[in-house]
Amino acid sequence: MLKGYLSIVLHAHLPFIRHPEFADFLEEDWLFEAITETYIPLIKMLDGLVKDKVDYRLTISLSPTLMSMLMDEHLQSKYLKHIDKLIELSAKEIDRTKWEPKFNKLAHMYHSMFWEARRIFADEYKCNLVNAFKRFQDLGGLEVITCCATHGYLPLMEVERQASVRAQVRVAGDMYQKIFGKRTPGIWLPECGYNPGDEEALKKEGIKYFLVDTHGILFGTPRPRFGVFSPYLTKSGVAAYGRDTESSKAVWSAVEGYPGDHNYRDFYRDIGFDLDYDYIKPYINADGVRINTGIKYYKITGNTNNKEPYDPDTARDRAADQAANFMFNREKQVEYLVGQMGDRLPVIVAPYDAELFGHWWYEGPSWLDFLIRKIHYDQKTVALTTPGEYLKKYKKFQVLAPAASSWGYKGYSEVWLEGSNDWVYRHLHKMVERMVEAANTNKHAKGLTLRALNQMAREVLLAQSSDWAFIMKTGSHVPYAVERFREHVEHFTEIYQDVKDGRLDEEYIKHLEDKYNIFPDIDYSVYQT
Amino acid sequence: MPGQALKRERKQFRFPQGYGDNKIVLLARDPWWVFTYWEIRKDREEDIVRKMESEGDSPAKSVLRVYDITNINFNGKNAHSFFDIELKGLANSWYVNVGSPDRSWIVDIGIISKKGNFYLLARSNVIKTPRFGMSDQLDAEWAVPEEDYWKMYSLSGGFGVGKGSLEMREMIKKQLEEQISSERLSSGASFYRKPGERKFWLVVNCELIVYGATEPDAKLTVQGKEIKLRQDGTFTLRFALPDGKQVIPVEATSKDGIDRRRITPIVTRKTD
Repeated sequence: MLKGYLSIVLHAHLPFIRHPEFADFLEEDWLFEAITETYIPLIKMLDGLVKDKVDYRLTISLSPTLMSMLMDEHLQSKYLKHIDKLIELSAKEIDRTKWEPKFNKLAHMYHSMFWEARRIFADEYKCNLVNAFKRFQDLGGLEVITCCATHGYLPLMEVERQASVRAQVRVAGDMYQKIFGKRTPGIWLPECGYNPGDEEALKKEGIKYFLVDTHGILFGTPRPRFGVFSPYLTKSGVAAYGRDTESSKAVWSAVEGYPGDHNYRDFYRDIGFDLDYDYIKPYINADGVRINTGIKYYKITGNTNNKEPYDPDTARDRAADQAANFMFNREKQVEYLVGQMGDRLPVIVAPYDAELFGHWWYEGPSWLDFLIRKIHYDQKTVALTTPGEYLKKYKKFQVLAPAASSWGYKGYSEVWLEGSNDWVYRHLHKMVERMVEAANTNKHAKGLTLRALNQMAREVLLAQSSDWAFIMKTGSHVPYAVERFREHVEHFTEIYQDVKDGRLDEEYIKHLEDKYNIFPDIDYSVYQT
Repeated sequence: MPGQALKRERKQFRFPQGYGDNKIVLLARDPWWVFTYWEIRKDREEDIVRKMESEGDSPAKSVLRVYDITNINFNGKNAHSFFDIELKGLANSWYVNVGSPDRSWIVDIGIISKKGNFYLLARSNVIKTPRFGMSDQLDAEWAVPEEDYWKMYSLSGGFGVGKGSLEMREMIKKQLEEQISSERLSSGASFYRKPGERKFWLVVNCELIVYGATEPDAKLTVQGKEIKLRQDGTFTLRFALPDGKQVIPVEATSKDGIDRRRITPIVTRKTD
């Protein structure tokens, strides 16, 4: 008998990184790696579910920056070059490992995986993977939502908050509408960063729900009747879902989490670092710096440097076992909860970063595939749903004001506001203040002024990406994050000054429009107050 | 001028020291801490000092004055309470421990005079620290017995909030941090990693290169597998060489199939 629902939500996001001025750019690889290791495996999984007529529900949030990159022809052609090189490298690896059968088997595995990725990317979806997600949404099982325009972290937008939040939400909503032909059903607040009142902006865009971390609901007012096992309506009518801790821990936790299984592939042993420099050089960064290639031969093994060869069959068995374990625990969870829920069935919301699946946790897509199939075939206690679908199951929900929160370390804003990155806010706030001022003084702009103001809006949004502050904190790739932030402040400030002085520079504006070509339909008036 | 290809000289942009503003901005970091940054114009400061002197007073110290203005329409004097933080050096931002969730705050930056009067330089926006802990407000329509609320709270993982959320993301971050030291050696390397355990380490691998040449139109096999020759008839093969003996028959056959040559290197690797 059905006793409750599980809603898995994957959040896919990468910052907008596109450098046509370079043939080979290190940080662009983040997109290429995610395509090969996460997005394509997920698409393959969805395709399999459709072919086998498995009735599934899954929610994926695609950030506007990620969608923009997936739809960009320049990056598409770079991806083809990237995957072709991997195909070439894995072919060499098949020869090189001929006398080492365990590695040879893996070389074959990668070689066919890369070919398959290329086929799906180029032949099935004509190089535009957004089409894949649209297809599965149109077929019914997948609920695609989006995120704020550039993944701006809303709680720290304290200056001109309304205009800042409105722009982040509306630009995203409009882009979604254009691609998917309807309003986005829900929104992933960047880093689950929720600031009370921001839901008003969501309401205006026709958004039905958003997600917060567990304590966003538990510390809400008045007391939540159903814990995190039901959505709540904010005063504006937009629903808030809270993250379930138990199912999150199973996957996320460093200690008890599934991805730490010793049979799983080790992320950090990559032939880009392990093999002879002259041999690997054509396949690493153009400046000769060793990087991950994606070809990895070892399993986690244990807390040791003596790693053993990876065995995909054993790993696959473990993924199946863990999927069964996860399902069993959810069954127990809803069986226990159902008695506490009055007139309704509980919903367990389990959100994860999409890039965890496949990129960091290589077996993640298999695990998810096993889980979805097992839920469909092996039991009747738990059913999959999406947040959008669950909202239609009941007429009434408790009204609650969620508490300010995020899913970052310690649950609030400290990740994006600490010694390494707090200096960015005085510039970010100034940009928004000036943007609002420029939008207000130049109503109904036309021609070059219009283009200038629209480009200013793009630069503000790009500067607001939470990724820059996050990277500054984590300490890897810091110079890139600082430079990107500096660049957007520079572009913005230069145009702002030119608009103010009435001496527009078309060549400069054109240059920036080409360089940061995101949001072609942006309308700066979103910043008018 | 529009449309003209007049190249405008643009100076190398640097973040400005200030924007010529006189303001202070307050941000909430978490339920207990707030962050504030400010910019004070020199003329504003000089005006204040002159005012002070005209009143027979002089500046003693710069302070941040933090007011608890929860549910108050603040007029500068009616806060529930306030406390001062003395500013030293050239600080232009500060983390303030306000220590109370779910309260509203404002911060003034100002100068305290020798006589103990506070002179305002700038006043911040209002912020509220996040609520922490379960609400006492009950919703009559959705009321359940007290213990049931706690049950749902506990089932939702409420007792782990704030301490048990060390996540994968953190694990990843830690692993990234381990790489930073080596990253500095090779600017911009992504995920430049060296294994944990102890710092000192050694890895040795062996590879074997087999190369040679024959007639460009000949057919060549190595260990029975056909190998494609380069245009000039040369070939190079590279193998990872494990411990043990490798017998590597290399056989060339002429295009017409009449001539045949066979050379068989035997290689043994032994690792002590």
